[in-house]
Amino acid sequence: MLYIHQAYCISPQKTFQDVDLQELHEPAEKRLLAIEPLYDGIPPGVLRRMGRAVRMGAGASMPIIKNTAELDGIIIGTGKGGMEDCIKFLNQIVQYEEGLLAPGNFVQSTSNAVAAQVGMMSKNRSYNTTHVHRGHAFENALIDAVMQLNEFPGSNYLLGGVDEISDFDYNIENLDGAYKQESISSKDLYQTDTPGSIAGEGAAMFLVNDQAENAIACINAVNMLHSQDLAQLEKLLQQFISTHIPAGEKIDLFLSGESGDNRTLKFYTACESLLPVNTPVARFKHLSGEYATASSFAVWLACYIMQQQKVPGNMMNGPVEVLAPKTILLYNNYKGLQHSFILIRKN
Amino acid sequence: MGVISAVGNSVAENHKSLVEGLCGIRNEFDLFPTKYAELLPFGQVRISTADLLKKLHVTDPGVTRTSLLALHALNEMLQDAGLSPAALSSSETALAGASTVGGMCLTDELYADANKKTDGSPYTSSYDCASVNMYLQKHYKMNGIINTINTACSSSANSIMYGAMLMKNGFAKRAIVGGVDSLAKYTINGFNALHILSSEKCTPFDEDRKGLNLGEGAAFLLLEKEEDIAGKKVYAELTGFCNANDAYHPSSLSDEGDGPFLSMQGALKQAGLSAGQVSFINAHGTGTENNDEVESKAMLRLFEKVPAFASTKAYTGHTLGAAGAVEAVYSILSLIHQEVYPTLRFKKAIPSTGLVPVGSYKKMPVQHVMSNSFGFGGNCSSLIFSKV
Repeated sequence: MLYIHQAYCISPQKTFQDVDLQELHEPAEKRLLAIEPLYDGIPPGVLRRMGRAVRMGAGASMPIIKNTAELDGIIIGTGKGGMEDCIKFLNQIVQYEEGLLAPGNFVQSTSNAVAAQVGMMSKNRSYNTTHVHRGHAFENALIDAVMQLNEFPGSNYLLGGVDEISDFDYNIENLDGAYKQESISSKDLYQTDTPGSIAGEGAAMFLVNDQAENAIACINAVNMLHSQDLAQLEKLLQQFISTHIPAGEKIDLFLSGESGDNRTLKFYTACESLLPVNTPVARFKHLSGEYATASSFAVWLACYIMQQQKVPGNMMNGPVEVLAPKTILLYNNYKGLQHSFILIRKN
Repeated sequence: MGVISAVGNSVAENHKSLVEGLCGIRNEFDLFPTKYAELLPFGQVRISTADLLKKLHVTDPGVTRTSLLALHALNEMLQDAGLSPAALSSSETALAGASTVGGMCLTDELYADANKKTDGSPYTSSYDCASVNMYLQKHYKMNGIINTINTACSSSANSIMYGAMLMKNGFAKRAIVGGVDSLAKYTINGFNALHILSSEKCTPFDEDRKGLNLGEGAAFLLLEKEEDIAGKKVYAELTGFCNANDAYHPSSLSDEGDGPFLSMQGALKQAGLSAGQVSFINAHGTGTENNDEVESKAMLRLFEKVPAFASTKAYTGHTLGAAGAVEAVYSILSLIHQEVYPTLRFKKAIPSTGLVPVGSYKKMPVQHVMSNSFGFGGNCSSLIFSKV
């Protein structure tokens, strides 16, 4: 469907410049905060005005903008966009009793601010859109890119997913039951039998097109479902495998979005039990934390694994070794309701 | 089609207001306490949130006005289309919606939850833009692709495009497309901080225009493929669409209107039409200094002779993320009834462009309508609907 030629990621781990996934960065105050780079190439005046999501999104896009002669569009998925600016503006409304307010936070708070900023930085006047359907925001962005490439063969798109943690959003999500009440080390995430996960954030940006040559990886299929029904999910996975993975081809790695939340574990367990025996399973939420577009981090990770041809040890669940991974099946679940499967193959 | 706006709670009521020139913008705001209730006119939907809950038989906790407006418009559309529950919940039926406000219409609740001033309101999972379509998905047990787009004021033009693309690319057999936004203290103060709200009823394309009025509304349309329409009621064909970016400024358009020019040009190209074939332009026409002048310049750049054009925001106010879908319904009404609706209160043309919008209701042959939606972040989209 589409080929990934460049992949950049700002995350709570060392994923941006010198990638090192051996040394684990731990949560602080129950949050896995992104390690932000110095953002070379973004003028300081512009950088200062950016909210965190915009900064991470623009920062992870910069290398792609620099490396690519011409982009034919910018397609971003984000669950919340600039929530911090949003509440900052809201707090101003209350604090100044709807007086004369500075509009900066308001403008930065709209979900399309990342795509808009990247568009302005790259002077890109072509297709520009922002998908915000919570746990399916990145998946819809991915499908959008596939469709744009069908429509305009030979084009290059910047595709990405980005979300930030702010104190405000943390408070709301925490009230909603999204996060664990106890402080834990990220390596213990999967051992806890409690509701909620660790809050996470990050930006993953990709240059995608329809050219197989020199690609890092290929995304062959995406499928989504809204459901709380285990049987419906199982049926979808069976269909997905029979449609997209020919008999005889091995799933070299099942990349699981297991989040340490005991309310959603059953979905991951059910999927794993439908896979061929001895399918290796790796998990990633101890690296990224949980957020609406964490699947974009997982796609970056799949690209990294394809390039390295090995899986960082701290990700493996179980003794099965992964040898020369070529086919990776990603399953992610957001809040027990939004499911997605993404099939990634080495080119 | 289904629509709810300040000029009516149904397609028929909206149509009647457009034909009779009835403006829905009033100085009677009463949705929530805000100091601007006294100072500014708004295009408020004439049904309270409590009455919406009652009328729609909604008893679930945590459902916002935004979701209720969406459900109201969706219900009308479903009834109009006669879509069976089985078709609605089929995995081949996609829902592509749009919103910029989502549950942020509950500004005071959001403030309290975000700043830990409560133990959690019933709305903690209802603030984001996705909450509306999450609710519609659950309400109708939908199993196809569900999406929400937020490209500011062009959001629902893009959700219409996205739905059409899903069908074209085999991801859906049919697509429910549209958008919604409700009035929020958040957007009122945001637009006010940008000094683009008019203290009078807006006058799009007028030399003395003073800004926009905020409105609210929702609209949904059912898209089906040409091969599936035999024996069904068909209102119009979506023949062209294009999304382009102005890449100039976060909250205003470039002087020459590159984004608007490119989106209009791209939509024509996709429809295979020459500029001269467009019968009517449903302009974005918000009534702001910047938009109306730039949109006019872009029209002058693209069209040798600018077709008849008008802005219905003089009726409804600017319904933000709903505008593209609400005005898609209005564009289609023009095609069905072979008529165009005037820009209310227009007096004098902008001197630098000299363009005069349609000033009174009239019957005329309408073959192709172009509908523009431009938003913050330079997000410009144009759609073309054609007579069938």
